[in-house]
Amino acid sequence: MNWENFKNIFSDVETKGDKLIVKTNIAKTIDFIKNNYHFDVLKNITAVDLKEQGVELIYHLFNVEDEEELLVSILVNDVAESVSKIFDSAVADEKEIYDLFGVKFIGNDELKRLYMPETWEGHPLKKDYVENDERLNWNDKA
Amino acid sequence: MNYLYFLYIEFLAKYNIPQLFGDITFFVIPCVIIFVALLLVILALVLFERKLLGWFTQRKGPNRVGFWGLLQTVADAFKLLCKENVTPTGADRFLFNLAPILIFIPVMICLGLIPFSSEFTFMNFQTNLLIYIVIATMPVLSILLAGWASNNKYSLIGAMRNVAQILAYELPIAFTVLSVIVLASSMNLTQITLAQSSKLGVLGWFCIPCFIGLVIMFISTIAELNRCPFDLPEAESELICGYNTEYSGMRFALFYLSEYGMLFANSLLISVLFFGGFLSPFGKYLTSGVLIYFEQAFWLFLKSFLIIFIMIWIRATLPRMASFDLLKFSWVVLLPVSILNLFLMVILKYIGGLHV
Amino acid sequence: MTKLKLNLGPQHPSTHGVLRLILELEGEKILSCEPDVGYLHRGMEKMAERLSYVQYLPLVDRIDYLAGFFYSELMCRTVEKALNLEISDKVRAIRVMMLELNRIASHLLWIGAFLMDLGATSPFFYAFREREMILKYFEKVTGQRMMNNYFVFGGVRRDIFDLEDVENILATLEKKVPDYEKLITENPIFLQRTRGKGILLKEVALNSSITGVNLRASGFDLDFRKRDKLYCGFYFEPVVLEGTDAWSRYKARVLEIIESSNIVRQALEYLKKEGELNQSLINPLNIKLPEGEYYSEIEAPRGLASLYIKSTNEKTPYRLKWRTPSFYAVNLLRKILVGEYLNDAIAIAGSLDIILPEVDK
Repeated sequence: MNWENFKNIFSDVETKGDKLIVKTNIAKTIDFIKNNYHFDVLKNITAVDLKEQGVELIYHLFNVEDEEELLVSILVNDVAESVSKIFDSAVADEKEIYDLFGVKFIGNDELKRLYMPETWEGHPLKKDYVENDERLNWNDKA
Repeated sequence: MNYLYFLYIEFLAKYNIPQLFGDITFFVIPCVIIFVALLLVILALVLFERKLLGWFTQRKGPNRVGFWGLLQTVADAFKLLCKENVTPTGADRFLFNLAPILIFIPVMICLGLIPFSSEFTFMNFQTNLLIYIVIATMPVLSILLAGWASNNKYSLIGAMRNVAQILAYELPIAFTVLSVIVLASSMNLTQITLAQSSKLGVLGWFCIPCFIGLVIMFISTIAELNRCPFDLPEAESELICGYNTEYSGMRFALFYLSEYGMLFANSLLISVLFFGGFLSPFGKYLTSGVLIYFEQAFWLFLKSFLIIFIMIWIRATLPRMASFDLLKFSWVVLLPVSILNLFLMVILKYIGGLHV
Repeated sequence: MTKLKLNLGPQHPSTHGVLRLILELEGEKILSCEPDVGYLHRGMEKMAERLSYVQYLPLVDRIDYLAGFFYSELMCRTVEKALNLEISDKVRAIRVMMLELNRIASHLLWIGAFLMDLGATSPFFYAFREREMILKYFEKVTGQRMMNNYFVFGGVRRDIFDLEDVENILATLEKKVPDYEKLITENPIFLQRTRGKGILLKEVALNSSITGVNLRASGFDLDFRKRDKLYCGFYFEPVVLEGTDAWSRYKARVLEIIESSNIVRQALEYLKKEGELNQSLINPLNIKLPEGEYYSEIEAPRGLASLYIKSTNEKTPYRLKWRTPSFYAVNLLRKILVGEYLNDAIAIAGSLDIILPEVDK
């Protein structure tokens, strides 16, 4: 794969192992990768809470022709760019990450709680999420 | 019928009971008989269907209550009687309660019009068949009422589908029935039956000249009864239970019973129109004397149960049709063919008439 | 015409669990569809963060109760990868055989449930009859019918036995699958209900991250078993059909049953010759994955399933993430159902083979 061209356009991209670490403009980067390198499938988006550093989003891209994989990652703080216009499957992933990590995706119109009820406070997969016994009885309060 | 009437009056006279009593009870007794018999037959039918479906799908069917599961449906009916009647909030109470009552009336009238033997028809008019056809479409009204009054979207969609379906399939039935009327030159069911009698037995039945009509009638009847593969109004996987989603207890039981009552009545009608009704398939009756009437009833029941068996068989085999293909099938295929069939029968009758 | 808002589910006979679809109807035509999930959310990923690996292992079967072996295998595989454990060829053959039997059972149940959605009741019982044989065998070997918990890190819980049962299953399938084809595949009403309904073009499928049989029935050859080390040495051809509609999704699953039984047969031949079982088991109580990220994937019956583990050399994973195929199929319903009639919508949703515990995790 010809990454020279890619490196020229996106100068702030680092490679770490098999991961491509992007600082900003994730939507633009992924769009570029999709169009120029035929990564047509976004397998899923993994979010990892790294406490003080923010939330790391890992995009698992897959090239169906060469059967190659590419991980693109970005560190975000509560707000991120949405790739739902590029990959339809991202709508569901972003909903899930919003629900469990509290990352707001700008550009995703259907963003809302996926698993948790609308009135739920906090985001369960955050490391600083404290379980409050009172909140486990949310059903009785309604 | 007159013969039975005199028999009954004579029987009463023997015990010095005034004729007036006989005159009144003569019309009440058939109603009681028909009601009780209908209930028994329906209970038997439900068991019949469940057993058969069990066998078709390699199960045993109901086998716990009573010997060989025979009392299962009785137990079910008793359970339904004891259950609470729930009226959903927002439902139109009056119409909601009226619908199950209304649905049972046409079923009983329909059964009353069928000749069970040559002398035994509860309501014997010259235009028996016409009345039957009119009355048999009445349940759709109460289904529409039920769907509308339930205040449930599934019920409403189910009722809508049902009305569209009945409208589409009533016309082919009417044309097929017309062709039978042409063949028999009568609108009386007893006379239609007798017109099929011949020394050759089976060969005289209308299913041979009017085979196309039989097929159309069979398909349309299944559609009118909302049975698989035309069970869209109560499609379980789409509309939960269709128009009777919100009904419980005895009200649900009434819908359920009327469904099977209509199934029974319509299969009786098919066997009267096409399979010689109460006639024996051998051309002559096996018994003599009063027993003949029982034999006639036996043949009629046997034929209708065979038809019901085929309907259950179809139910066990086929998936449900799509709603638009269903209507298209009726308007584009069945209706033209049934009209063609009518013309064919008229020509046949004309040629046959010349020879006679 | 006024719009009708119909709430399909969460308690509805044909949503196979607790999926809720908020439909906007005009007559019976669907204007918009909004899936609402989460009624079965058990917090699988949250639970992993406070359980050790061996404590978590029995839970993973529950992610997809119809194909539990696949998630078990995925979990074991990821831990084995992290600890550099090699599994012997016999263990590999046992795993392949169990996985493929599980795939057959899952597809059989789908065929029954799909036909049930279309209103035919009998095939459900026929499919269950064959599935029962497979579950009986699972019970014999693993002690459980569905939540088997049979694979362990570095091997399997016990050696396999009674291989003639598997032969029996294969012989029965060989006889019965043509029966399904006779009863269902060419049935005119079935064709009418499924041919040309629920068209899923491969571009749309790829963009929506649809994998597995659904993608292959849209004419795209992508089978993750082909690049899987576990299946190395087994010969099979992925089933690829060009139909793109509900019918070809059905047909592809029927053909995949046959294909899977071929794989089972190969594994069976191998296992018959093989002697002792040697495993590279470790003490499961002090498993600590070295620091790093581990990612592995498998072709589950419903598509690509994958597992991501980030470890910080603790007894519990720092972050564990499942990718489940049905999750994306539900997301696709938003688009694929629009413009269809309610009647067809059930058939289309059924043909995608959605299972709800997988969606909710």
